[in-house]
Amino acid sequence: MKNLMNILFLSCLKATELIEKKLLFKLSFSERVRLKMHKAMCDACTMYEKQSNVLDKALSDSEHKDEIAIDLSDFKKEIITKLEKSK
Amino acid sequence: MTVDNRLSKWVETYTLELYSWAYHKVSDSELAKDLVQDTFLAATEKVDGFKGESSPKTWLFSILNHKIIDHYRRKINQPVSIDNQSLSTFFDEGGSWISDKKPKNWHEDELNLLDDIDFQKILQKCMDALPENWNVCVKLKYLNEKSGEEICQELGIAPTNLWQIIHRAKVQLRECVENKWFKN
Repeated sequence: MKNLMNILFLSCLKATELIEKKLLFKLSFSERVRLKMHKAMCDACTMYEKQSNVLDKALSDSEHKDEIAIDLSDFKKEIITKLEKSK
Repeated sequence: MTVDNRLSKWVETYTLELYSWAYHKVSDSELAKDLVQDTFLAATEKVDGFKGESSPKTWLFSILNHKIIDHYRRKINQPVSIDNQSLSTFFDEGGSWISDKKPKNWHEDELNLLDDIDFQKILQKCMDALPENWNVCVKLKYLNEKSGEEICQELGIAPTNLWQIIHRAKVQLRECVENKWFKN
């Protein structure tokens, strides 16, 4: 019975795979339907998707966070010196 | 010889932004500096061909991004292997969640989490704890919001490989964050 369910509505392993695949590629129609049905029956995977999306946003956000407050004036001089030498 | 006027101006204007970006991407200040320096060296060679179709900032950032990708590409070990062992700690043979590995309700507002510096720190720690190759795949995904196809191309791996790696990485990352953030 459980096996049949897995074939029809995916196992949690497959469902979470599709949840990640969806963030990178377009899912096929059958993948979309099966994932939707799986989530309707499975709280853990529904939770997983929600949290996975949060992590996704956090990872993209953290890339755009504030500039670092350090003094780079020595570093700038260093670059200019290097550029002069390379000429 | 003196450096092209434009270049010395750009070094003055854009070094901080370029460095901040590189630092966020590679989490290593020395490496970030090297990448920025290489960017300006490459810019010096190519500046005659720069006709100002894009802003200098955009142009410099595109050079820097190539340098970052090169860095990651060198770092990734080919072939990118996918072991099933990591998943067997989360899912049983039938592919169901092992009961104590099931995602728990975080009871937390998404926006609060995203704004929380401590949450970001934990996320960073958990990222660093991922196997190197996985870490590279995840980082590339968020570098300039790359599409799946582009990442595959850049790393020379098959699409199936990519989302399977990201899947393993995310399952692990999610649990790590849950353990560190919600259980203290």
